[in-house]
Amino acid sequence: MSLIELKNVSKIYRLGNQEIPALTNVSLTFDEGEFAVLAGPSGSGKTTALNLIGCLDRPTSGEVIVSNLTLGTASSKQLADFRLHHIGFIFQSYNLIPVLTAAENAEFTLMLQKVPKLKRRKIVCQLFADLGIDGLEDRRPADLSGGQQQRVAIARAMAANPHVILADEPTANLDSHTAEELLALMRQLNQEKGTTFIFSSHDDRVISQAQRVIRLEDGRLADDSKESQ
Amino acid sequence: MLLSLAFRNLWRNRRRTLLTLSAMVVSAALLILALGVFSGMFKDMLASATEQYYGHLVLAKPEYHLRRDLFANLSVDITNHPALMNEPEILARSPRLRSFGLLSKQLSSQPVELLGIIPELEQQVTSLQNKITAGDYPKLEDRNGAMIGQGLAKKMKLKLGDELVFVTQAADGSIGNDLLIVRGVFATGDSRNDNNLVLVPLPWLQEVVVLPGRIHEVAMTLANPMLAAEVADRLTPHLPENTEVLGWGDLLPEMREVIAAYGVSRMIIVTILYLATGLGILNTFFMSVMERTREFGILMAQGMRPMAIRALVLLETLFLGGIALAIGLFCGALMTLYMQQIGIDLTSYITPITYAGGTILPRLHAVFEVANFLVPAGMLLLVSLVAGFLPANRAARLNPVVAVRED
Amino acid sequence: MSIYNTPLIRKLLPLLILLSILSTTALALDIQSVIREVEQQYMGTSSRARTTMQVKTSHWERTLEMEAWSLERDYFMVRILEPAKERGVATLKRNREVWNYLPKVDRIIKVPPSMMGGSWMGSHITNDDLVKANHIDEDFQLRLLEETETNYVIECLPKEDAAVVWGKIVYRVRKTPQVPEQIDYFDEEMVRVREIHFDDIQQIGERIVPLRLTVLPLEKPDEMTVLHYRELVYDLDLDESYFSLRNLESR
Repeated sequence: MSLIELKNVSKIYRLGNQEIPALTNVSLTFDEGEFAVLAGPSGSGKTTALNLIGCLDRPTSGEVIVSNLTLGTASSKQLADFRLHHIGFIFQSYNLIPVLTAAENAEFTLMLQKVPKLKRRKIVCQLFADLGIDGLEDRRPADLSGGQQQRVAIARAMAANPHVILADEPTANLDSHTAEELLALMRQLNQEKGTTFIFSSHDDRVISQAQRVIRLEDGRLADDSKESQ
Repeated sequence: MLLSLAFRNLWRNRRRTLLTLSAMVVSAALLILALGVFSGMFKDMLASATEQYYGHLVLAKPEYHLRRDLFANLSVDITNHPALMNEPEILARSPRLRSFGLLSKQLSSQPVELLGIIPELEQQVTSLQNKITAGDYPKLEDRNGAMIGQGLAKKMKLKLGDELVFVTQAADGSIGNDLLIVRGVFATGDSRNDNNLVLVPLPWLQEVVVLPGRIHEVAMTLANPMLAAEVADRLTPHLPENTEVLGWGDLLPEMREVIAAYGVSRMIIVTILYLATGLGILNTFFMSVMERTREFGILMAQGMRPMAIRALVLLETLFLGGIALAIGLFCGALMTLYMQQIGIDLTSYITPITYAGGTILPRLHAVFEVANFLVPAGMLLLVSLVAGFLPANRAARLNPVVAVRED
Repeated sequence: MSIYNTPLIRKLLPLLILLSILSTTALALDIQSVIREVEQQYMGTSSRARTTMQVKTSHWERTLEMEAWSLERDYFMVRILEPAKERGVATLKRNREVWNYLPKVDRIIKVPPSMMGGSWMGSHITNDDLVKANHIDEDFQLRLLEETETNYVIECLPKEDAAVVWGKIVYRVRKTPQVPEQIDYFDEEMVRVREIHFDDIQQIGERIVPLRLTVLPLEKPDEMTVLHYRELVYDLDLDESYFSLRNLESR
């Protein structure tokens, strides 16, 4: 059985009286250990799809099933708990809490899971070492470079050991060199730990690194490299 | 971590937090000071009404306090009635005889109220001995030595040692008259007492009005004046028929109203001040929450429950309230202490005001009262919570999808 | 309130009598001359009287023996003879001022305006009665209310600017001999609060006067004051100098 399944999913946003379709009849499945990218220009529905997969949002029609949880029927509290234990998020940038140190940011989900402090520290230290940012634990986000911040964000997403990590344009605000490094790092984690990565991007260099490329255009599934295989 | 997160969030916009904090501190401290001064004024008033004339509790024939009927008298023995002696709340009892008549010296005459007292006992009930401006308190052995009010002394141009004639109708219908000698002058600030009241030894007055062994009332001091009505009710069944024991609230109904009004006005001041403070807090936290919308989105994306978000914001306001409270209480206590110890003398600007039977002295002076600290403290925390609730609710209801996209 | 003017009683008696005569004087035009005559007859002269005053209140009852002198309508002096305790207490009225002498303390006291409404000597007569009674014709507007075969009834309403305590006074005067029978006093709410009755009508020299007055305070039905003239002598050789403060205390 697949880890994530989207069945005929549509999402329509309302802006006043206008209805803006963000996704139309999209069906997708993801298996564990995938390293997939949602590609397409901005406005093609990438972020919406990620939000639905990440249980941040509910579909207008169709079904989203993540690890056997059907989104449409879950309460916001249930969704929060589900996110806490199963999903890690990485956003474009500025997604660290500025008043917390790098280590505290990374520990946050563990703290919400009520993991004891010492154990938290241990996990985070290991992650920081793996991500090559050891020694930066006590810095505040403002004192870190963009690449370092995103590594901290990856550490945070990884800390609770989720099934899926969702990354919305994780390299959008990074220079190409840093972006490549970061991508390589994610790929490495994917291969070493078997964590599923789904990210969105419109950068061809990033897309080319992906194991599976799903192209969205105007909210419709245009191409899925897995299907076409 | 939630605690330290809340705490750090407070200090993130230091200027705004400090501004709000100082507003809260100032309002709390000033409120405490104002309530302290208010209580001081009120206490002065009550003290002037009870401790300068009435006493806290008065035993007399029914309606004596209304009619002041010469013939509504009691045996002096009732002063030591067991019911009064056994009541632990009663600290002192003073038997008194009262007579209205004419006091004159040569061509000038004034209608006066004579209070026949036993000096040692009366001094435990009223505190005119602390208001003496010249001479001494009457003494039992100085048969006809009198203490008069300053207003009366001025009107009749009296000085210590002057002889006065007191004339009244005695209880047997005869013309009671005798000489008094001015031994002391008091000034209370209450013009009614200062212009009319004359304290004389009880035996002398009993002789003049031909009421040997009789008194009109027993004035008493209580450990806690606020219990006067309660003690009166408690005593009544144990006292002889045809007597009445009244608390100062019955003797001075206006004073009772003043107390009630004091409670109301205290609440009004607290409400107004804290409404303003509350709006300040509300504004601060609304701004803070709006600025952090994206952050809340991220926290929620990571699995933080809406309730926890709400708790976080409430914790921040409570923190702020707590800090403001600590500093505000400290400053308020300090200022109250200053006003209690030193105060501000306004004698050169205003004269005493007599109102509702009590006298407001021309001074600003505070007293410590637990309620004056508890009310502002409790209200400050309450206001912090209420003012924090709206922004907290807003933060908790954010849609994470929208919030994360916010810049 | 207190009554401290023992000597006044003596003055009061003649005064009240004078008052009643005056009221008679104020009758309608056809009797005005008669009244003026009566008034002048009385005022043109002086008097001395020995009086007994009985005062009864709900708390006590006492009898005072007094001696009183008068000159015209403006001068009175009263001195207590009995009881012994108050012997020598005296009241002097000069025009509208009242003075008391207290032998016990050997002092003269002037009654202040605020005490003029107070009881005189514990009786049901006030200081004001002493001062104002013989000025009825000046302070009040007189009107004949009723005339019967034997009596006149005269109503006295205060003049607008008059400082008086009564709302109305009603006199009942007998025609022959021309003496007062009863005076009713009304307060400002026109409630009758006091009555004075006159009886024991005697001929004193050429005059016919009622020798006994009974004052009834209607608010206290069990109380009263009775003034009885034992001796009454007119046309003495007295002048103003007799009614001096020195004389008040000297006798």
